[in-house]
Amino acid sequence: MRKSEGPSSLKRKRPDLGTKNSSGGALIGQEKVLYDLICSKQSMGICTFDMKRETKFAESVVTKSLKSLQTKGLIKIVQHYQNKGKKFYLSNDFEPAKELTGGNWYRDGELDKDYINTLKQVCARMIQRKKLMTIEGIVESFKQSGAFKVELSREQIEEIVNALVLDNQVMEVKSSGFGEFEFIPIGKICYKYCTQGGGLKGEPKTGAMASIPCGVCPRITYCTPNGIISPATCVYYTKWLDF
Amino acid sequence: MVMTQYGIKYAVHIMTAHFGNLVAKVCETLLRKGPLTLRLLIRFTELTPSQVNNSLLILIQHNCVQAFTDVTEGEFGDAPKDDTLYLALFSNILHRMRFSKFVAIASQKLGQDKNCQELLEGLLQNGRLSMEQLVERAESSGRAGNHPISDVVHDSLFKLLNAHFVERCPAPEPTLSPKVEEPPPRKRGAKAAKISEVPETLEQRLIEAARPVEVLRFSMGDTNPEAEKSEHHSQISGQKRKHDDLEIAQDSGDADGPILWRANYDEFIRCLRHKACIEHVRSQFDDGVVNVLSAILEATRSSEKIVKTEITVPLSLDNIYEEVMKNEVGRSMTLDRVEASLAALGCPGMDDYKINLRRIIEQAQTDEVESIVLKRYGRDAYRMFRFLSKTGGLVETEKISDSSFVDKNEAPKILYRLWKDEYLYMEKVALTVPRHSLCLLWRVDRYNLWEHVLDEMYHASLNLQLRLAHEIEENKELLSLPKDNNNKPLVKKMHHFENVRNLLRSSLVKLDDALMLFHDF
Ligand code: SF4
Repeated sequence: MRKSEGPSSLKRKRPDLGTKNSSGGALIGQEKVLYDLICSKQSMGICTFDMKRETKFAESVVTKSLKSLQTKGLIKIVQHYQNKGKKFYLSNDFEPAKELTGGNWYRDGELDKDYINTLKQVCARMIQRKKLMTIEGIVESFKQSGAFKVELSREQIEEIVNALVLDNQVMEVKSSGFGEFEFIPIGKICYKYCTQGGGLKGEPKTGAMASIPCGVCPRITYCTPNGIISPATCVYYTKWLDF
Repeated sequence: MVMTQYGIKYAVHIMTAHFGNLVAKVCETLLRKGPLTLRLLIRFTELTPSQVNNSLLILIQHNCVQAFTDVTEGEFGDAPKDDTLYLALFSNILHRMRFSKFVAIASQKLGQDKNCQELLEGLLQNGRLSMEQLVERAESSGRAGNHPISDVVHDSLFKLLNAHFVERCPAPEPTLSPKVEEPPPRKRGAKAAKISEVPETLEQRLIEAARPVEVLRFSMGDTNPEAEKSEHHSQISGQKRKHDDLEIAQDSGDADGPILWRANYDEFIRCLRHKACIEHVRSQFDDGVVNVLSAILEATRSSEKIVKTEITVPLSLDNIYEEVMKNEVGRSMTLDRVEASLAALGCPGMDDYKINLRRIIEQAQTDEVESIVLKRYGRDAYRMFRFLSKTGGLVETEKISDSSFVDKNEAPKILYRLWKDEYLYMEKVALTVPRHSLCLLWRVDRYNLWEHVLDEMYHASLNLQLRLAHEIEENKELLSLPKDNNNKPLVKKMHHFENVRNLLRSSLVKLDDALMLFHDF
């Protein structure tokens, strides 16, 4: 997601540009055909291979026209998030679709992990401070905090909270109307900070299996009592027991 | 839960360590092939009849094998045939690794009663003992102070029976109805009068059929050692009964010989299950909730008929409050707090409160599996796995990566790894609209995954044992050295070895808890 532009990826800036370029001159011939084709694909864009197929133009013509359209500032190139080599051409009037960029939280074809992690940390701290929050409370806190220039939609905040739940940093609980839920309607979903794992920051408790080498061993299927890989000769054990 | 390949290997390892190769071989054959007659057992093991016979005696003595009469319909109008078959009791073999836990539970519940503890230890070590043998053991250990030893043993046994920690041994050879396959079993044995649930597996059916009726199971009967002794002698000549191949002194609660006693594993497992529930709740909630759960478990214990109780019997709020007050920590709790704790435990009750223990156990199992996923595959995998676990159904790759914030380029690779290691189930769906493509759907297949994880746990337990044995072998010479040594490097080495041993042992104990979580609870 572009922090400076807000979440909407389908923003139409200049709805009625038509076939004119910014200087007012009409496009002609092949350039116009290509531009119309690109526009018709809207936010999905189109790659040169498909352009050639649909217009039957020669490669050189397409390349030349695209260059020209680009210099005129009418189109832009977007890389596909899964296939970095594959370029898509979009009219400058459209923001690339989720299918091209990967979605709201993607930036230059990659998940914007830093940004997401910052948001998650902020959100986790909010819940930790208040101990128990409803989604409305969290949205409100985000608004008041003013820590982010871009306003996040409720859906986006929900996504962040859900990720915290999946991380097991935050627990989803239903209000019972009792005790700590006294002021929350019964049955309402609330979020609670998990304090398990000896208070380590959101680290879930390490189970019995996960605390021994075999529990996390990538070679467990090949390991046999007297085989080439065996517990007696195992390097993971040797490392583990070397304290 | 079934016994898996590594389950069998682990069980055989335990048997080898405790009873040597011959017994382990007989046991392994029974585990792998299912119930066998003596004749077949001899054929498969390629051992001599007397070796097999002796091994079976040991296995039965230690409650690892149960004999039974299998009645098959006679062919062409012949009379029905009955064969004696031997079945290995997989769970009981694994319980051998838990004896110290059992003793700890008993001594905690019976107020550190040394006599009880000793009696129980005797039973665990020897499998089955008569009153007379128990008295002999106590005499040789020279405890008991001023009281006559037989009285002390009698009292201890009485206490242990009352707490259900000890029971009468099951019938030596119950008869099973011919139709083994059919689910609702018709019980021939009159002893199976009280059935609390329909047993599913042969093992469960058999245990049910062999078990003495509830009233008899935990009662002393007339176990006057003197009377027993004379009874025992008069019976010896009559002991060669219908099966020649069963020359085994495996008599128990029936009138054929002295009553034999053994530890009641079920009761210990039940206690450990309660403990596991409490520990799991402790990891999520405050002490109040823990107190309330303990109180409920305490109050409903007597009405639990089976080990795997799903839901506790309903209790009123007053009952629960009363029980909570019995406990010192609970006394500070207000009724409001008790009610709030019940709500936290997911009790929907208005008048009656019941706790879903099954759910707590399942949650604890899920935690264990998720923690493996986190450690082995990383945090992204952990989130995706939890997402799929929560969702329950089949979900496509893109949706998974969106919902769990995993880069769409990474997600398929991680999912594939999880699938390859049998942690996920995958389905391919060919799409024609909007274009021809292959869509991958993923799901957490709890049943198969749990079995897979259990198998890995058996494997890991076996490996821990083997490594422990290896470390001890490697450092043999350190064990024989005197503790007060002046040789600095040697002392350091001894220390290190000591720590290694402790770490391996404590890991085994912890891993065994996890094994029980998946296999016994
Ligand atoms: S013994 Fe070593 S190689 Fe074998 S499963 Fe365990 S950690 Fe892996």
